[in-house]
Amino acid sequence: MPRDFLDPFSRGSTICHRLPDRLKLIMVLAVIVAAMLVPAAYWPVHGCLAAALFLAMSIAGIPLRYLLVRLLFFLPMILGLAIAVPASNGFARGWDVALTVLMRGTLSFMGVLWLVNTTPFDRLLVAMRRLGLPQTLAAILSFMYRYIFVVFDELQRMREARRARSFTRRGFFAAWQSNAQLIGMLLIRSMDRAERVHGAMCARGFDGEIRTLE
Amino acid sequence: MSSTVSAQNPVLRVAKLSYRYPSGQLALKDISFDVQPGDRVGLVGPNGAGKTTLLLHLNGLLPGADAGVEENASAVEVCGLPATQAHLREIRKQVGFLFQDPDDQLFCPTVREDVAFGPLNLGLSKEEVLRRVEEQLAAVGLSEIESRNTLQLSYGERKRVCLAGVLACDPQVLALDEPTSNLDPRARRGFMNLLEQFPAAQIIASHDLELILDLCSRVLVLDQGRLQADGAPEVIFANQRLMELHGLEVPLSIRYGQR
Repeated sequence: MPRDFLDPFSRGSTICHRLPDRLKLIMVLAVIVAAMLVPAAYWPVHGCLAAALFLAMSIAGIPLRYLLVRLLFFLPMILGLAIAVPASNGFARGWDVALTVLMRGTLSFMGVLWLVNTTPFDRLLVAMRRLGLPQTLAAILSFMYRYIFVVFDELQRMREARRARSFTRRGFFAAWQSNAQLIGMLLIRSMDRAERVHGAMCARGFDGEIRTLE
Repeated sequence: MSSTVSAQNPVLRVAKLSYRYPSGQLALKDISFDVQPGDRVGLVGPNGAGKTTLLLHLNGLLPGADAGVEENASAVEVCGLPATQAHLREIRKQVGFLFQDPDDQLFCPTVREDVAFGPLNLGLSKEEVLRRVEEQLAAVGLSEIESRNTLQLSYGERKRVCLAGVLACDPQVLALDEPTSNLDPRARRGFMNLLEQFPAAQIIASHDLELILDLCSRVLVLDQGRLQADGAPEVIFANQRLMELHGLEVPLSIRYGQR
């Protein structure tokens, strides 16, 4: 996985990238809160938020194509969630709730997408810390961002090794059985790595308390 | 006279160290050796000989706190302190450990934060921490990447940042697990030159026998958890029978008389 897969535009130099990190974080939180609090009946507010976000995206130089691809992954999930309400009412009522969920979810997603693509993650973590995010949560996020690439690359290598030894196209069941084995193996390897990382932390004096330069 | 004084004060003393893995399999048996300040000692042996397990004992990562083998823990002494749970903090300050895979050791988002991790845990002031970060990154020749994200570094750069992070704790002893594996020849040579500069005592576990010939004045041969030989690399590596018995090979430079 390319190292900039999660936030390919975060190291730009537009006005959006140069805004103070904390200000950006607060702005995006405000957008999310606004989207959550305003009822669907006041849809012009949502429309304005969407327009503002769209404007911010284009100022930050984030291409439309990228947004659409990300939305393509996000929308099915939020659609599944949104459809649950009308579905539980026999598709007679609840469409307004579904629409609200859809609007709020998409606006929040877009806000966060803008934030991570205008702020490198290490700086975002510092900004969140300064706004009162507990140290332990910040450390968990930091480790997640650091190791998601390592774990994914490990999965890629395992898949390649499997492909190199697969000669026939196999049935659906056999394929999923082998995927399950792969995932199980990845879990074990990740646990081993966690042991080694913890060892490396202890070796440099870690005693359970996280200390940072901030 | 001074040599006799230092011979009485080894920076590291291992006396009759034995260890069994939790599975019950014997990993180390009756290992004893001393390391004097400033010594560079090679540690060679086949895969599975116990090299990494031995290194992990040197700064108290093994045996684990739950192992309940206090008599074992005191088999290792660093600067005169037995490596028991009570002295763990001091032991880890004195012994720096360079892991084989830099991805295990480089866990902070930026280079600066990672090198600062050890000094911060030592409780140093922010100014002192930043001074050490700058100093050690300069020492490994990477001053210009201080604010870079650790994900964006090459393998060789990551390895050197790891070394800077260990050195920033100012250890008396460096334990290095395969320091040059996966490095290309130029990066390997650069890394060896770095190791040669550092005054701290070093224990280098490696399959790279030429590296040990270049850097070390002494080598330990470990096989099946036992110390099989201890002496000058030129002498031990030239002993073909001993080398082949323990899954090793006489280095080409010795075989063709280049040493």
